[in-house]
Amino acid sequence: MKFLRKLWAIPEAGIFVPLLVFTLVFFCLNQSFLEPNSVAAMLRAMTFVGIIAVGQTWLMIAGGIDLSVGSVAGLCAIVSSWLMKTQGLPVEAGLLAGLAVGFMAGLVNGLIVVRFGIPAFIATLGMLYVARGLNYLLCQGYPIYPIPDPLKDLGRAEPLGLSWAFVAFVLLAGIGDFALRRTVYGRMVYATGGNVEVARIAGINTAWVQIGCYMLTGAMAAVAGMLLMSQLNVGQPEIGVGWELDVIASVVIGGVSLFGGVGTVVGTFLGLLIMQVVRSGLVVTGVNTHWQTVAVGVIMVTAVGVDLLRRRTKIS
Amino acid sequence: MLNPDHSLNPAFALEMRGISKSFAGVRALSDVTVRVQQNHIHALIGENGAGKSTLMKILDGVYPAGTFEGQIFLRDRPVRLGSPFDARQQGIGYVPQEIGVIEGLTIAENIFVGRWNEEGGVIVDFQRLFTRAAELLDTMKIQLDPRVQVVTLNASQRQLVMIARALAARPSVLILDEATACLTLDETRNLFRVVRRLRGQALTTIFITHKMSELFEIADSATILRDGTVAAEFERAQFDEHEIVAAMVGRTIENYYPVRESAVSDREVFRVEELTVPHPHLAHRNVVDGVSFSLRRGEILGIGGLVGSGRSETVNALYGRLPHRGRIFVEGRETLVRNPREAKAHGLGLLTEDRKLDGLLFNFAIRENVTLHDLPQVSRLRVLDRAHETACAAHYLQQLSIRAPSVQTPVANLSGGNQQKVVLAKVLFPKPRVLFLDEPTKGVDVGAKNEIYKLMMGLAGQGIALVVISSELPELLALADRIVVLARGRIVDEFNKQEASEQRFMLAATGGANSHLSN
Repeated sequence: MKFLRKLWAIPEAGIFVPLLVFTLVFFCLNQSFLEPNSVAAMLRAMTFVGIIAVGQTWLMIAGGIDLSVGSVAGLCAIVSSWLMKTQGLPVEAGLLAGLAVGFMAGLVNGLIVVRFGIPAFIATLGMLYVARGLNYLLCQGYPIYPIPDPLKDLGRAEPLGLSWAFVAFVLLAGIGDFALRRTVYGRMVYATGGNVEVARIAGINTAWVQIGCYMLTGAMAAVAGMLLMSQLNVGQPEIGVGWELDVIASVVIGGVSLFGGVGTVVGTFLGLLIMQVVRSGLVVTGVNTHWQTVAVGVIMVTAVGVDLLRRRTKIS
Repeated sequence: MLNPDHSLNPAFALEMRGISKSFAGVRALSDVTVRVQQNHIHALIGENGAGKSTLMKILDGVYPAGTFEGQIFLRDRPVRLGSPFDARQQGIGYVPQEIGVIEGLTIAENIFVGRWNEEGGVIVDFQRLFTRAAELLDTMKIQLDPRVQVVTLNASQRQLVMIARALAARPSVLILDEATACLTLDETRNLFRVVRRLRGQALTTIFITHKMSELFEIADSATILRDGTVAAEFERAQFDEHEIVAAMVGRTIENYYPVRESAVSDREVFRVEELTVPHPHLAHRNVVDGVSFSLRRGEILGIGGLVGSGRSETVNALYGRLPHRGRIFVEGRETLVRNPREAKAHGLGLLTEDRKLDGLLFNFAIRENVTLHDLPQVSRLRVLDRAHETACAAHYLQQLSIRAPSVQTPVANLSGGNQQKVVLAKVLFPKPRVLFLDEPTKGVDVGAKNEIYKLMMGLAGQGIALVVISSELPELLALADRIVVLARGRIVDEFNKQEASEQRFMLAATGGANSHLSN
């Protein structure tokens, strides 16, 4: 009993328990659910949304939100593949340019929100359209392929039965988690999202903390978009369509508050897992695939409800 | 004054019998019994964390029946209060500590919130609404136009609107939870006059206050809480300041205002010349207008004045939170203070007026709040050193005698006095040279006030220059070495401790601001 209460007090408990329950249920329904192949497939599938979710976690804790991540991921993939294929730039230059586009998109988002005071929801919704539009303008709506061999090989490699993209995700999530919890900058992110005025009085440059988080999120979107491009072997203009919702859903399921100041990358990781387990679980149990979407919606709202309940029991 | 209880009915208007309440295993109230006679004004006093607000939240149904032990009786009839709505239905009116007005609506709409029409109906009859509000305000002797939007009101006017809202429901029991904390002296007297008159109309009042003068002026009886139990009960005839304070803190306080032991040095650390802060909305108007003063090492300078005189704006501007003109010198060197970052870098520190609004990070523990102003001190190569951070926070926990189980206790779980000490620890952590304290004892109980005074004297002894703003005149006169009085943004008087008196202060503060109501 005491153990259970302690578990309940850990911020991530609200997600960890249902994650276990779902996993067990699906495993009982179909033992192949936890076979290595199936697990590897699940982990691979959450990679791209996962990478962006790390950045979004930082941003939302700092009190912002970015709806443009999917479009930015697509734009970065197209820009880099266009530079490499059509303009003949070397692979490194193409990737760096893609990354730069991600940073720039984040910078623009950040400046518009922080300096001009336009609500993040609106500003980044605008960027969602702008980035997707630029993407189609650049490629005329056609996929760009083939992409250079080194990238193709990178996308095909299967370290540990997974992918380099997944390795990148784990690394970025690990660094992101440590930096957020244990560095001075991470603490400033929490303080800024917790109460901007308190942070300002403490001498924290809250504008740059927030803009920095927008840039980080943009860069993460670029990384995810280009990694998917390497795996698909195509600069696909549809890369990233609809990602923003999955990203935000997993971050929120993971316990990050929409008001900022609360959450962890570990929580987001668990949130990603829970979404993936439910999706894959419904597939292996042979349920109509459209139920996945219904399930994600239900889970997100439930997760936030459970989190609120947990907070309440802790305070009173 | 005679006890006005001449009713033939000996019943208690309100009885809370044997109330116990725990939060996550921590006992907040244990076996508390409060009885209030019909038509009495009953004071509930005690230090922060004594359980006053918890008790009142039980009475208001915020903590519903079933989540506590004990029983509530209204006129000897047991009642079950499952929600604040139940409490309203039973005739309990509650004015909370925090002001909760709807800024975008008019005064009248705020007063009758949710009951805009007497008869029901979809379309609001504004004429009728304004008339009703005007009548109510008139009986309360409050001179406010019910058509005015609440956003334009200052804190004390908003509080009056909240009280009017509670009275509009014609309660039989009115709870005022530190409702006088942000009222001016006149407004408080006025309110008491109204409450007295309502007492004649079968209104029983419970009020929570930290101000001893209010207790003596208005209460018929009092219950003193300490650590969640009833420490003492007094009838008006037995009121004695020493006994009451002793019951509150569980000991007698020696030297309530500590005496200054160290001498003020002659060395100037800070000087401001012609500080001017423009009005945030009105052109050609300044909220602070040509204020100049200097500070010496270890000096305590008091800034006095009425609410709205520019006291708060002065220190906030000096800390870089408001745009301003004028010259600022730190240690003799002219410095620019364009934002709090620069202020902090020059060794300035600010304790803001409202710890709930911009004093603390309520999502965090004591530790993270204490170290926030100097993260480099608790980190190596930008990575936080947890052990060192804990040690630093624990040091302040002990030095300021913050009562908390550990440095990892969330600040949201602390009482007001202890929260205030955490804010102080936070601004002290980067070791400032000059400290601006904006109402450092606001909403803090007697015991904690005394501790904060001692702390301030200690800081002055270490050579830190303090600028103190306080609405409590005795406190200002007792602590400050020198006082400047502001009215309408200008310095209207300046005097040393030896020349200070309440009369001189009030004359300056009100005389120089004959139209201070106009803001």
